[in-house]
Amino acid sequence: MFGYPLVNVLGACLIITSMMVVLARAGRTAAWLYSLQSLVLVGVLASLGFVTGSGELFTWSATAFATKVVLVPAILLYALKKIGDDAQADLPPKLNPMKSVALVAVEVFVCFVAVSGIDLPTAAEVKPTLAVSLAHFFIGLTCIVTQRSIFKQIFGYCLMENGSHVSLALLAPEAPELVEIGVATDAIFAVIILAVLVVRMARYAHTLDADDLCELKG
Amino acid sequence: MTVIIAVLQAVLLVALAPLVSGIARKIRARMHSRTGASVLQDYYDLAKLWHRCEVREGPSGLVSRAMPAVYLGTMALLAAGLPLIMQACPVPLLGDIITILYLMALPRFLFSLASIDSGAAYPSIGGIRELLVGVLVEPSLMLVLFVMALAVGSTNVGVMAEAVGALSAYPAVAVVVAGVACAMACYIEMGKLPFDLAEAEQEIQEGPLAAYSGPSLAMLKLGVSVKQLVVASLFVAIFLPFGAAASLAPADLLLGLVTYLVKLAAVLLVAAVIENSVMRVRYKLLGRYTWFVVGIASLSLVFLVIGI
Repeated sequence: MFGYPLVNVLGACLIITSMMVVLARAGRTAAWLYSLQSLVLVGVLASLGFVTGSGELFTWSATAFATKVVLVPAILLYALKKIGDDAQADLPPKLNPMKSVALVAVEVFVCFVAVSGIDLPTAAEVKPTLAVSLAHFFIGLTCIVTQRSIFKQIFGYCLMENGSHVSLALLAPEAPELVEIGVATDAIFAVIILAVLVVRMARYAHTLDADDLCELKG
Repeated sequence: MTVIIAVLQAVLLVALAPLVSGIARKIRARMHSRTGASVLQDYYDLAKLWHRCEVREGPSGLVSRAMPAVYLGTMALLAAGLPLIMQACPVPLLGDIITILYLMALPRFLFSLASIDSGAAYPSIGGIRELLVGVLVEPSLMLVLFVMALAVGSTNVGVMAEAVGALSAYPAVAVVVAGVACAMACYIEMGKLPFDLAEAEQEIQEGPLAAYSGPSLAMLKLGVSVKQLVVASLFVAIFLPFGAAASLAPADLLLGLVTYLVKLAAVLLVAAVIENSVMRVRYKLLGRYTWFVVGIASLSLVFLVIGI
C-alpha cells in the first residue's frame, strides 16, 4: 500500500476533490474544498518525498501547505466577504453540473491515453498520477468555461495550478527549492490579482455573471 | 446444503419485506410528527387483500394475469441467488451479474407491458414512467457491475464479495468509486422518494397497480417491497460483504445472518432518512440526477483503466 501505489491513490483523491470543487454550489464551500484538495496535494508531495528519498519534496510540501492550504483559500474567502450579497457569487454554471462529472471522466481517460505514450524513466511508476496531473489542466479549463460566476472561474485557474505543481514534482523530484518558490508565489500573486479584480468588478457592475460583464469591454 | 440456504434467504426476504416497508412508513410518520400506523400494517393489508375477490379490467389479457406472480417470483429468485449470509453464492448459477441484470429487467418489462395491456390511460403512463427510470438507471448499474467484474476477474457476485471482503480487489479507488455509484443506482432502483412511490398518487406513480385488486395486488405490493430489499441486499452483498460467513459451519452462518441483518438495517435506515428529507422530482428532471450516477460510474471505469 505504501510507496508508489499510495501516490497513485492520492492522485485519484485529487481528481475526486477537484470534481467536488467544480460541483460546489456556493463559493464558500468551493474555497473550503479547494483547501481540502491542496491538502491532498501536500500528501502527494510528501509521499513522493518518501518514495524518491528527495529532501526537497518535503520543503515543497511545507511551502505548499502554507500557500495553498491556508493562504489561497483565506484570500478567496476574504474576497467573498468583501463582495458581500449585492453581487451573486453563487451563480449556477452553464453546463448541468451533473454532466460535468461525466466530462471529467472523459478528460481523465483522454489524458491517460496521452500519457501512456510518454516513456520517461522518472514517471514509469506514477503514470496514473501523471495522467491525473495533466487532466487537472483540462478540469480547470472546464471549470473556467462552464462557470458563469467569475469568482468560481478563479478556482479553475487554481486547479490548473495544482495540476502543474504535481506534474513538476513527478517529473523533477530533485528540482531545487527555487523552482518551488516560483510556483508558490505565482499561485499567490495570481490569486491576489484575480481576487482584487473580482471584488472591483463586483463593486462596479454589481454582478459576477461573465455574460453580463461585457459592458466592461474597452 | 447451499440450496437450503438459498431457499431460506428467499423466504426470509419475502417474510421481512412488509415489516421493512412498515418500519419505513413509521419513520416517515415520525419525521412528519405523526403517530403513524403500526409497523405490522403491511401484513394486515396483504391479509385483507388476499381474501378479497379479484376484479379485472375488461380488455386485459394473459400478461396482466401473469405479471404479479412473475414479479414476485423473480424477486424471490434474485433473493435466493445473492450471497447474503455466506460470502460465496449459495447457487452460483443465480449469482452471475448477467443473470441478475436480466432478472431485474424481466419484471420491469412485464410491469410496463401489463400497464399497456390493462387498457386504461393512467396505468400506461405509469408504466412508461417506470420504463424511463429503468432506462436511466440500469446503464449505470451495468457499468458498475462491469467494472467490478473486470476488477476481480469474474462475473460472479460471490467472487466479487470475497475479493472486496479480503480487501484484495485490485484498483482500490476504482472499487470505492464504483461502490458509491452502485449505492446511488441502487437507491434509485429501490423506488424511493425523489424518484418514485408517493403514496397518494398511485395512478401515475406505480402504473399498473391501479388496475389490480385482490390477491394480484397483494402479490404486487409484496413484490415491490421485496424488490427494495433485494436491491439493497445487492449493494450490501457486493460492497459490504464484511462479516459474511466464509465457511458452512453453523456458528459462521449464524454470525453471517446477524451481520447481514444489521448491515441491511443500516442501509435501509439511511435510505429512509434520505427519502423523507427530499421532495419528489418531476420526472422530466430525472435525467439530471441519473447523469450524476452515470458520471460517477464512468469515473470508476476510467480509474479501473488507469489502474488506481
